[in-house]
Order: sequence, then structure tokens, then C-alpha cells
Amino acid sequence: MGKEAFFRSAEMSLVQLYIATEVGREVVAALGELGSLQFRDLNADVNSFQRTFVKEIRRLDNVERQLRFFNAQIEKASIKVKAVPGYADVTAAPHSNEIDQLALRTDELEERVNQLMESHERLTKKQVELTELRHVLIEAGAFFDRAHNVPEELRASLDNDDAPLLNNDVEQGDMSAATSFSVMNIGFVAGVIPREKMQTFERILWRSLRGNLFLNTTEIADPIKDSKTNEAVEKNVFVVFAHGAGILSKIRKIAESLDADLYAVDEDANIRRDQVREVNSSIADVEEVVSTTETTLMTELEAIAEQIASWMVVVKKEKAVYAALNLFNYDQSRKSLIAEGWVPTDDIPVIKTTLADVTERAGLQVPSIVNELSTTKTPPTYYRVNKFTESFQNIIDAYGVSQYREVNPGLPAIITFPFMFAIMFGDLGHGAIMFLAGLAMVIYEKKLLQINRDEIFDMAFTGRYIILLMGAFSMYTGLIYNDIFSKSMTIFPVGWEWPYTWNEGDLITANSTGTYAFGIDPTWHGADNNLIFNNSYKMKLSIVMGFVHMLYSLFFSLVNARFYNSKIDIIGNFIPGFLFLVSIFGYLSFIIVFKWAYDWIGNEKVAPGLLNTLIDMFLSPGNVTDLLYDGQPTVQVALVLLAVFCVPWMLLLKPLYLRWDNNRKTRSGYENLSQQEVTRLSFDEEAESSTPVVMEEMHEEHEFEFGDVMIHQVIHTIEFCLNCVSHTASYLRLWALSLAHAQLSTVLWSMTLERAFKMEGGLGVIMSFILFAAWFALTIAVLVVMEGTSAMLHSLRLHWVEAMSKHFIGDGIAFTPFSFKAVLEEPAQ
Amino acid sequence: MSSGAEVLYVLIAIAGLCVATWFVTPKGDNQTVWRSSIILTLVMCYLMWALTYLSQLHPLIQPTRSDLRPEFAEGYSEYYGME
Repeated sequence: MGKEAFFRSAEMSLVQLYIATEVGREVVAALGELGSLQFRDLNADVNSFQRTFVKEIRRLDNVERQLRFFNAQIEKASIKVKAVPGYADVTAAPHSNEIDQLALRTDELEERVNQLMESHERLTKKQVELTELRHVLIEAGAFFDRAHNVPEELRASLDNDDAPLLNNDVEQGDMSAATSFSVMNIGFVAGVIPREKMQTFERILWRSLRGNLFLNTTEIADPIKDSKTNEAVEKNVFVVFAHGAGILSKIRKIAESLDADLYAVDEDANIRRDQVREVNSSIADVEEVVSTTETTLMTELEAIAEQIASWMVVVKKEKAVYAALNLFNYDQSRKSLIAEGWVPTDDIPVIKTTLADVTERAGLQVPSIVNELSTTKTPPTYYRVNKFTESFQNIIDAYGVSQYREVNPGLPAIITFPFMFAIMFGDLGHGAIMFLAGLAMVIYEKKLLQINRDEIFDMAFTGRYIILLMGAFSMYTGLIYNDIFSKSMTIFPVGWEWPYTWNEGDLITANSTGTYAFGIDPTWHGADNNLIFNNSYKMKLSIVMGFVHMLYSLFFSLVNARFYNSKIDIIGNFIPGFLFLVSIFGYLSFIIVFKWAYDWIGNEKVAPGLLNTLIDMFLSPGNVTDLLYDGQPTVQVALVLLAVFCVPWMLLLKPLYLRWDNNRKTRSGYENLSQQEVTRLSFDEEAESSTPVVMEEMHEEHEFEFGDVMIHQVIHTIEFCLNCVSHTASYLRLWALSLAHAQLSTVLWSMTLERAFKMEGGLGVIMSFILFAAWFALTIAVLVVMEGTSAMLHSLRLHWVEAMSKHFIGDGIAFTPFSFKAVLEEPAQ
Repeated sequence: MSSGAEVLYVLIAIAGLCVATWFVTPKGDNQTVWRSSIILTLVMCYLMWALTYLSQLHPLIQPTRSDLRPEFAEGYSEYYGME
């Protein structure tokens, strides 16, 4: 069958690779590019710190950390990172030299970037301090200039809290002129404090000094950048006057505890002027240095940004290689690495040529060897998917991984999934919109692959082929339902004829003249009893479709049993299950079709209700009031008896057979053999020590426990029989959702466009324009997107629960090959 | 009145198409996918059509309405060439 592997998963082989130690890295890198080998851990008992290549991985981890650090800095500086040009030029396995150089380079760069950042930080801090000092000098200075005019007032207020401030103004005004604060024994503390802490500061000072202070503050207009957090903070300048050294130091402590920066300010105006001049010039100096440092840092980061993406790829690959090498065994005597892994049997030749290529390129004499091992271990499940089948396989894998080589439910799901959806979504117009959306995504696939897709769009894009098929089948079912945006089409000659004359408002009835060739007759559209007809039709349709879908799925269990060569599963599970399903729900489907096909009116018979027929079939099988066909009671009794008989058949046959089989084996002495531990030893023949290189327990068989088997079978039987009933009922969702969809689109039409069409004149023109927009927007948003999502979820459920429960074993292990592509696609932590 | 035999004729045609599909599908990695998908499509589309056709073969209820204007009858009989 070649490379095809979708109906069943690919055949897998366990292979053993002998690789010369010198080329170990290169071989693993080549296999990583190939991506079709899943290494087994041969050192499962060694913890991850004691493995061979821990040191290398640590080093690469460090490089990765450095790269991430650069990345963070680059992002902070909002420099654009150059994307990796495809994976083309970085895919070649990097030389170990290159890695060493890269590691050295990143070390150097990290040091340099760190240095630059440190000095930048230091300088900014300096800059901030100087700026604050300047503000303090200016603001406090201004205050001093003012205050020197009123020192007495100040003293009065300090000496006596009760003294009214304004009263003394006139008397003391002139004598205060040149009095210094020091003369009055008043000291002061000046500084800068965050504005939000100002109030607290004030209150604490007031309380702790019992009001013996004079506080003056001014807001600084521009926010000042905090060098630690890099945020702009609004600050105030404050000057506190008080007497006594103790009190002053207390003030200092309080201020510092509230994150204030204190600055020394001189009382003398001349010195202050000099200070301001000095500060101004140093600010200019610092600013220049800061900007130079910034430019240097930017240039450095820009240079890194050019290459960081490809470095990251190289490092990730290299790390993956060493992680894989850690899974290998090392053969001391032969100086070679031994690897074991699963590979699709078809790919073994490719693996062999890859190995040979790498060995040849390295010019080694020792060949690398690929050995196929026979094993009883369960191989992993691997489907070869393409871009079309992949999305459908994802639907199945989301539920469970198939057992190795069992029938893949993903294959029929390609059609049944979109079709079940379409039964619920049937509308030619809505289907066409969905189809076109899917088609656009398929046509512009390559372009869309390259752009950045957000989460929701990416989901739609991944499922573009599903959307395409859902749209196509919805168009078909829309034609069958004769629904296009809730309107009908008359394509074929209609099968109903209205009377030739009637009066306005008369209730008229159409007469049958034939059968509409394709789909529902348009005459039903808009008829008063349209819903009655559609209800009955869609309900029966969904029962029959559901039965066919379940029967089809049940047959996969037969295919599985035949493939695994398990006759008892056919006789003990499939046949009774099949008979049970057919004798009840197959019969139900049969009477539905029979009742449709039989000409009740022409034959002048009463059409019996099917619901009652089915209920009576169980309550009184032999007693039928309205006959569908002759001999109905006998047939129904036989079917009920058959269905009842199937239950113990399914319940008992398989466990009893298994017990009998086990006893027979035990009697003939096979048990000892199967109980023995089968151990595979692979000896190194050349080495004298003949140390076992690979020694593994291959014992995987379980002892036979009748109780377990019986319980398992009881559960299976109860589940199967009950599920036949509940699952058939569950398919009625097809009916419910398709009716709801049709009704909703009718309502939308009559609420929007139909109203516009009833208006006259200019208003009608304008309103049809506006209401069309409303109708179209709501059609897309509600009917296509929302209803579509809900129908899709229901279809998903019908597959996972109703169909797959009939055959899916699903205890497989997914195949996860060692592949660089997968490593690189992993999101960065 | 049709007898419903059309359903069987189309069934035979569809079965023929399914057999043809089995042989016509291109050999290669995707043959199974092609075969399964085309045959399933044919069968499901047929089922859908056949069930719809059958449900209208011998109708037990007739469409009724009271909102048709008498003028409708004229255009309608002209269109279908009736009297």
C-alpha cells in the first residue's frame, strides 16, 4: 500500500541505531530535520541531572537565558526584531564550533549590555538628583527671599501657637529685614517628596512635633522620573523650619522614611546662586553622557536584533539534540552510541540513507547501523496526514488517540462530519456564504499562512477545509429543504395544484398532481400547515439518517475485529449488537420508509401512527390495531424476541468463551510458558566482557481474571443496549436544529427586509437600503456564525458520542517524533 | 402518480457510480481518502434525496393556505399552461 496511512495508522518498527560517537550530534541533528523517529528513553532509571550531556544543556540554557534577556531589552527599547528568513539558512546542523562561538559572543554581549545599562541607570539617577536639587534650590530660595522679610512673624508663630498671624503684620514688618534664621536659632530641612505622601508627611510632622514647626511646600510642575522604577512621579519641594538639633534630626528621619530626598541648601542667597549655576552645568553634562550611553545601547541592541531570531533557532535545535542524546546508551567497548526508537516502517530506508550520508560526510570508517527489533511493545499511533485530512484528524484526536492500527474514524468523518452539520444548517444561501469563506481561505492559503493570525481566526483557518465542505453540503441540503435565505425556489414542476378560483381570504387546499423531483415542494413554503409537514419529515429523516450513521459506525467494529483476528468479538459482540440495533431501530427506519412509500389514500386504508406502533411493539407485540402490512404481528414478535435474546448473548458468550479458552490453555500446560518472563538480551559478541547492552523485560501479558472480564462485558452490554435507544433519540437534534435554523431565518427575514418591502415611496427605498444592511449583518453574525458554531458542536458530539462509541477503542499512544519543526513551533516559555 | 420506482433507479445509478469511483480514483497516497470521501458523499446525498422524495410520494396531508390572492390563480394557470 506504499506510504498511505490514514485508514489505519502507519505500521511502526522499533529500530536500534548504532552511531559512532564522533558523529552523534550530526546524526541526531539530521534525524531532527527528518522528523520521523521517536526516541525511546534508554536511561529511564537515570535522573535528569546524571545524564551524559547535562553540562552542554546547562550551557545552552544559559545562552538561551541570555538571548531571552536581550529579547526583553530589545522589546523594552521597542526595536523591531528581524524574523528568521524561512527556516532555510539556519536549518543546517550548526557546527559545534559555531555553538562555542555563539556562546562566547552572547557572554560578551551580555556583559557589555549589562555594563551599558548599569551606567545608564547610574547616570539617570544622578540626573534625577541634580534636577531635584535644582528645584529645591530655586523653590526654597524663593521662599527664603520671601521669608527674610517676615522672620519675626515666623518666630511668633513658632513661639506662640495662639498668636494671630495677620495681626502682627504691620508692627513687625520693618524690623525683620536682614535678620538671619541662625540668629533666631531656627534650623531647616529641605528636600523633595512624592506628592501623594505630602499629606501624611505634614500630619506626622505636626503630631510628632506638636505643631512646633513651620512647613512650606511648592509643587514641582513637571513630574520627575524615578530612576528605580522608571516611572514619572509627581513631587513637591518642602522646607521645614524648626528649632533645636534634635527636632531637626527627627524631621530628617521622618522625611527619609517617607521616601523624601533631602538636599543641603544654604541660607545665603549668593551661595545659593552659585550652587544653582553649578547644578545647571552638571545637569547639562550628565544629560549629554546619558544620551551617548543611550545611543550606544541602542546600536548594540539593534545589532543583536538583526540576528537574535536565528540564534534562538540554533540554540533551540542544539538543546533538542542534546536532550535526545541524553536518551541514548553509550557502548564503552565499541565507542558508539546506541539509540532505540519507533519509526514508521516505510521510513526505515530514509533513516538508513540519512545515517549513511552523515557518516560519509564526516569521513568516518565506522558505519552507522540501523537494526530492526522485534518487540511485543505497543507501537505508537501515527497517521500520515496532509493539509486536507489534518483538520479532520484533529477532530478525532481531540477525543482520543486510536489504538495502533485500528480503523481511523477520521476517514469517514471527512464526509459525515460536514454532512451531519449540513442536515442541521440546510440553507442554500447560508451554505454559500460559508462555502465562499472556506474557499477564500483555501485559495489564499499561502498568503494567510504568513500573516499573524489571532486566536479565533487561526481556529477558522486551521479548519478551512472543514468549513469548505460544511458550506458545500449545506448548499446541497439547502436545495433539498428548498431554502435559500428562508425563501423557496421553483426549479422543477411542482407537485401540487391550487384550485382555479377562490375568493380572497378563503382557506384553499392544493391537490396532489405528482411528486416534486428534487427536494421539498415549493408549494409547502408559506402554506399554513408547512410546519406540520416539515416537522414530520425532518423528524423521520433524522431518525433514518441517525440509524444509518450508527450502523455504518458499528460495522467498523467488525472491520476491527477481523483485523485483530478476534473471532469472539465478532460472534460475541458485533453480531448480537448488530441484530439488536437492526431489530429495533432498523425496523423503525423500515416502517418509516414503508409508510411513506405505501399509497394509503389510493388503497383506502388508515395510516397508523408510527409512534404508537413502536410503543405497542414492546407493550403488546402480538396485538396490532392498525396494520401497516400483513403479517406485522408475527414479524414484530419475532423481532422483539430476537432483540431480547441478543442481550444475554452479548452479556455471556464472550466472557464464558474466554474462561473456557483460558482453562483449556492452563490444562495443556501453556500457562507456565506465558507466565515466564520473556527477556530479550542483546549481547555484545565482540567484547569479551559480553556485557548486556540492552536488557529489557518484554513481559506485558496480564493474567486472566474472569471477574474483570465479566464486569467489563456487563458494562459493555448495558451501555450498548441503552445507548442504542438514547443515541437514536440523540439524532433527533438534527431535526430540532434544522427546524430552528429555518424558523430563525424566516423570522429574521420578516422582521427586516420584508418590512422594508411593504413601505412605499422614498421611505421604502431608504428603508430597504438600511434594513438590507441589518438583515445581511444579522444573517452573517447570527445565522452563519452563531448557528453554524452550534450546529458544528452538535455534529461534533454526534461523531464523538453516537458514532465513535460503536467501534472506537482509542487507547493508543500518539506518535511524537523527534523533530526540529515541532521543537521550534513550541511556544517560548 | 409516480410509483416510487425512481428511488430504485437512482439507487442503481448511484451504486454504479460508487463502483466506478472505486476503480477510477487515482492510485497513490490518497486513494483511500478519495474513495471513502466520494462514495460517502454519493451515498449520503442519495439518502437525503431519496428520503425527501419518498416523504412526498404519497402525501397524507395537503398544503393549505388562506393568504393567496385570487389573482394568483390566473398567472399560475398561465404559467403551467392549464385552463
